[in-house]
Amino acid sequence: MMTRASIAVLLLALPLAAQTPAKTAPAAKIWKQTKTPDGQPDIQGVWVNFDSTPFERAAPSPTGAGSAPASGNQNALLFADRAPKVPQRPSMVVDPPNGRVPLTPWAEQQRDYSLSHVQDSWEYNTTWERCIARGIPAAIFPAGYNNGYQILQTPGQVVILYEMIHEARIVPIDGRPHLPAALRQWNGDPRGHWEGNTLVVETTNFNGKGMIATNAASARIRSVPETENAHIVERFTRVDENTINYEVTIDDPKAASAPWKVAMPLARDDNYKIYEYMCHEANKDYMEITLGGGRLKEKTDAAAGRK
Amino acid sequence: MRIPLAITLAITLTLIAGAVSLAAQTRYTGPRTAWGKPDLNGIWQAINTADWDLLPHAAAQSPVLALGAAGAQPPGLGVVEGDEIPYLPAAAAKKKQNGAHWLTEDPEVKCFLPGVPRATYMPYPFQIVQTAGNVLIAYQFAGAVRMIPLKARASDSPVDSWMGDSFGRWEGDVLVIDAKGFTDTTWFSRAGDFHSDALHVVERYTPLSHDAIQYEATIEDPQTFSRPWKISMPLYRHLEKNAQLLEFKCVEFVEELMYGPLRKQTSK
Repeated sequence: MMTRASIAVLLLALPLAAQTPAKTAPAAKIWKQTKTPDGQPDIQGVWVNFDSTPFERAAPSPTGAGSAPASGNQNALLFADRAPKVPQRPSMVVDPPNGRVPLTPWAEQQRDYSLSHVQDSWEYNTTWERCIARGIPAAIFPAGYNNGYQILQTPGQVVILYEMIHEARIVPIDGRPHLPAALRQWNGDPRGHWEGNTLVVETTNFNGKGMIATNAASARIRSVPETENAHIVERFTRVDENTINYEVTIDDPKAASAPWKVAMPLARDDNYKIYEYMCHEANKDYMEITLGGGRLKEKTDAAAGRK
Repeated sequence: MRIPLAITLAITLTLIAGAVSLAAQTRYTGPRTAWGKPDLNGIWQAINTADWDLLPHAAAQSPVLALGAAGAQPPGLGVVEGDEIPYLPAAAAKKKQNGAHWLTEDPEVKCFLPGVPRATYMPYPFQIVQTAGNVLIAYQFAGAVRMIPLKARASDSPVDSWMGDSFGRWEGDVLVIDAKGFTDTTWFSRAGDFHSDALHVVERYTPLSHDAIQYEATIEDPQTFSRPWKISMPLYRHLEKNAQLLEFKCVEFVEELMYGPLRKQTSK
């Protein structure tokens, strides 16, 4: 027998049930982009990308019959201690559609020479190993650790604190022009603007001494030079409370025959604590082992009568 | 009614004293943030010679002959309250030793993170980024940076760091930053002033106008000093329309100095 209360429940439930088929997602609250006091879409907070997605897709086989033998995702090992907070994709590189950076022979040559001469001089080591800067956009490409970023916004600027090599990247969004062409920097000169809810950051004025990627997780692209003419356009779009979709288009004709694009999500993590990433202060051992090892090998080779 | 001269004088003096103390506490009238705090956003720099020596000092010859006048030490009035740094006896000896060997021993020469408060008064600008919940200070020298949450310290940092672990609060219009958790690896000046890992620095940023801040730092380190001591100096805003914190990534400038002998010696 139905009580009055149960009839009321049934009546309440009916409209809900009627709505259910129209819903495509669970009844989550619709997320709305909040604004900072000065009216910017608010993307402040601590974000991370412990993301083991391979940087590129595997190379197609020379015969064209399917892809090359799977070598496994090396990055899974690098990120083993962190549960991925974002969906894994076939590759970070999303354009060209084959997921491969169209490196020029010059770029490959430069990279190969650097990588095979790291024991000769610091200058052949990546700018990350030298503790100078990971570079832009490399500073946001996932590495094996320390993938934390904190964003602050004030009127006229967005500031991104990169945990690795303690980099505070100050991005003016007040419409000022780029630095004069003669003034060039490791991380270039960023200028930003908002397109709707997307922060667009355009970076130029690179000094030509940096690299487009500096860490092992970037595999084949690690140690590829970033020239003075590099033109980098990054897009930060917050798509829900806990996600920023990040995209970067890299146009550097001497290093790659066409512009290429990387896309990845950044996950919000309020509990992630950014500590000081001291680097150069403790890099003496790395340099002494790397370069000193090279000199030691020269001595032992000479003693063995080899050249 | 006649008022005795003594009383008239006393009243006059009181009024003058009152006016003077009011002037000393002139309220900040510059721009404020949307949430009502003095707006410290901008690029700042100390204009003094404290990085050479915190105490009063005359000009002195460059330790690098080739630099001539360009490398000479500029003179300065000093920034230490009372013109004395209260070193414990053993620490005083070490300071003297440091100063005598600064060219090879000073962390600044090697482009190491400069620590606090030295980062504030090195001859390089720094930028304050101020939000309601955090203050970030980005220093040009070595790309040093401090993220300072505006909240109470819940616990000591589990690891020591070169730039320390800082928490901030507003006392009226004064930004007060409490910093500790330092390594013992940074110095305060080229004169060899130093500290231990027990260092505790309390900084006060008192805005004087839109373009000037009075900076004070109280330095406490019972392993090195017999009592807390204080430095103070004005900080000035960079007023250039196109002011921008440029890179001074000095690692590149010290690699030959630090690793030169390890480089492959054959010609390229």
